[in-house]
Amino acid sequence: MKLSSNKIKSHKDTRAQSHKDTRKRQHWCLCVFVPLVCLVFLLGMASVPKPKVYIQKLKNGHFKLMVERKPYIVKGVCYNPIPIGKNHEYDWWSDPNKPWLVDGKLMKEMGVNTIRVYQPGEDSEAVKRVIRDLYEQYGIRTILGHWLGFWEYPCPLYGDQVFEDRIKKEVLDMVATYKDEPGVLLWILGNENNFSCLGQVNPWSTDEIDKEPDPQKQKVMKARTYYSYVGEITQEIHKIDPDHPVALGNGELIGLEYAKDSCPDVDLVACIIYRGKTFGNLFKSLKVTFDKPLLLSEFGADAYDAYRKKEDQNMQAFFLESQWRQIYGNLANSENGIGNCIGGIMFEWGDEWWKYNQSSPETWSVQDKESNWSNGSYYFDIQAAGNKNMNEEWFGIVALSPEQEFGLDKRIPRKAYYVIREFWKNPVLDDKGKKKGKSK
Amino acid sequence: MKKLLVAGLFAVCFLVPAFAQEQASAPVKEAASGEAKEFVVYTDKGARDNHYIPSGWMGDYGDIKLNDQSTDNPHSGTTCMQFIYSAKKSQNQGWAGCYWQNPPNNWGSKKGGFDLTGMTKLTFWARGAKGGETLQKVIVGGIKGTYSDTALVETGPIELTDTWKQYTVNLVGKDLSYISGGFGWVSTADLAPEGMTFYVDDVKFEADPTLKPESKKQEAMPFYVYADRSSRNNHYIPSGWMGDFGDIKYDGGWKEDPYLGDTCIKIIYNGKGAQGARWAGIFWQNPANNWGTIDGGFDLSKASKLTFWARGDKGGERIEEFKVGGIMGEFADSDSSVIGPVVLNKEWTQYTIDLKGKDMSYILGGFCWATNIDVNPEGATFYLDEIKFE
Repeated sequence: MKLSSNKIKSHKDTRAQSHKDTRKRQHWCLCVFVPLVCLVFLLGMASVPKPKVYIQKLKNGHFKLMVERKPYIVKGVCYNPIPIGKNHEYDWWSDPNKPWLVDGKLMKEMGVNTIRVYQPGEDSEAVKRVIRDLYEQYGIRTILGHWLGFWEYPCPLYGDQVFEDRIKKEVLDMVATYKDEPGVLLWILGNENNFSCLGQVNPWSTDEIDKEPDPQKQKVMKARTYYSYVGEITQEIHKIDPDHPVALGNGELIGLEYAKDSCPDVDLVACIIYRGKTFGNLFKSLKVTFDKPLLLSEFGADAYDAYRKKEDQNMQAFFLESQWRQIYGNLANSENGIGNCIGGIMFEWGDEWWKYNQSSPETWSVQDKESNWSNGSYYFDIQAAGNKNMNEEWFGIVALSPEQEFGLDKRIPRKAYYVIREFWKNPVLDDKGKKKGKSK
Repeated sequence: MKKLLVAGLFAVCFLVPAFAQEQASAPVKEAASGEAKEFVVYTDKGARDNHYIPSGWMGDYGDIKLNDQSTDNPHSGTTCMQFIYSAKKSQNQGWAGCYWQNPPNNWGSKKGGFDLTGMTKLTFWARGAKGGETLQKVIVGGIKGTYSDTALVETGPIELTDTWKQYTVNLVGKDLSYISGGFGWVSTADLAPEGMTFYVDDVKFEADPTLKPESKKQEAMPFYVYADRSSRNNHYIPSGWMGDFGDIKYDGGWKEDPYLGDTCIKIIYNGKGAQGARWAGIFWQNPANNWGTIDGGFDLSKASKLTFWARGDKGGERIEEFKVGGIMGEFADSDSSVIGPVVLNKEWTQYTIDLKGKDMSYILGGFCWATNIDVNPEGATFYLDEIKFE
């Protein structure tokens, strides 16, 4: 019995010892294995770094642009600093007076953090210098785009292998050349090229499309051809540059129901929208048709009243502020908005005096007051002759003066410069308390 | 005595008119201060408190006859106004109407009108001679010119009964600080092809502090853009002629082979480029000619599609787009949806514009078509019918 009790005790001791050993092992495990797992996990994390710029989809379905792991609202301007007397062929990237330094300083003071250029110049070193100067001196990032051959004569030949290969190579060369520039924010493919699928501008076709008798089906075939091509380029860019999102440039939301299937890999949609004081149902419509983040890549208002025939800075400021209010109301985690907007790019930083009559060099030294298109959304001057109220040479946030300063046409900030600066500092989304309409 | 007479004459010549002038403007001040409870447009022929005159005859003004002292069963007092609208299209307009103005014949070129701040509604009594007469709309304000009215409020269509009935135009929240067009009515030859006789009485502004602003109600489906020529279910007016509008002939009462009902729409586009635009189209708007300049339209949130029937005269006519919404301006449509190009068949064919996912809460432009010379070099004749939201 005693023995047995000893045995029992011994057994108990053994069990106790065994428990102790187990605890020791567990302790060892906790002390060595867990940190090891954590280390491996962290190393694993470290070996797959986050892209420099990426889109984060939140649990509520909203989208946020992240840059260097921080949220980034695009507060941008389209940038094309053509001096008075020159036209779009002028190579401003190589301008010895470096207009981007003067403009960059003003932009920074305003709160601009991004410029958009539609396509980089031919001298890549000059382009890099501009991107670096803006980023290093003012913290301003650059969005680079490519026209995707939209303006090629006689038309963009989407669906033609030779044409598509050549343009794709140009785009991939652009990406390879600039992807390591710290100032690059993202890529935009095309601008409003989708309008060519409707035949509204630069119409094109293929033999296969021409055989289709139904014009509605022709339109769909063109849209699928074009968007598939953009999707193909997007996949190629992702392979060589995982650090920057790729945006599909699009005029309005037209055709995006086909983009959903034809180019699902684009990271965001960059839309050109001219809808006056409101973007209407834009944010929700995109959510329904093609659930991608939205960058308002071109929007704005001109500062010339075509009806009363005089500059009207109030009108421009009124529209721009209203537009920014809507952009901010639809950013990620906005209370009442859709949450799919990542910011906007105003058209444009400075006036361009060559635009109205592009074929007459003598008019490039004069700021034309004529208009060649109409848009009822900009209703203050819609009663102008022929309803032509959009003054292409007056869209600048800053006006140009022939007076020279730093070897450049003097920049004169318009009222919108100050109004938007204040809005960005203190974004008030509710316009209650503000005067209805613009003040004169 | 002579001095007294001179003084008396002086008083009659200067003080009385001055007093009268002050009297005339007194109600305005009262209205502005919120003390006046009502402000009369018309009660009886020659009544002292009539403030507006039915002088603004519009459209086919030759089709209108007015007896402003009708004793045929007035609603109150001794007289009412009798309008006879013949719908003969004397001025080839297809519509007619009458504004009560102050001063008379003032189309915004003269200073006049009243500050009616504080008033919240306009009420009037009306009846038809037979019952069933339809006013396309009644109007408060909206006269434009050097001295423009500060508000335009429209309501309609209104189908009259053969007995007196009171109608109300809600004015809550409207800027009534300058109103020279106190009241008006409009009807069309389509709504009254055989003409009509109707009576109006006791038109006045009222201050009703309990009245709430009129919010647009969500319209029930189906909701017609066009059903038949004279249908009071037609909610939009084909007033927005675009591009080469001189190339278009429109007949909203075409009786040969309609798809349904008595009539359909016949459109002839001759493709001659009258205005040099090389394209043309028509927007159905509410109210007429509203390019986003005034608050109007309907809340069609319940609509998931718009359907319509169309056919070409020969078959093969190409319409570049059929559209819902998309009118821009200060009061812009809340969304838009488009189909096209559509090549029409010779037989009636139904087409659908999908509205799923669209914001249809504010639609001024109910329907639109547009085409151009390039795809119709010989022009195009086509027919539309049963245009409706579902």
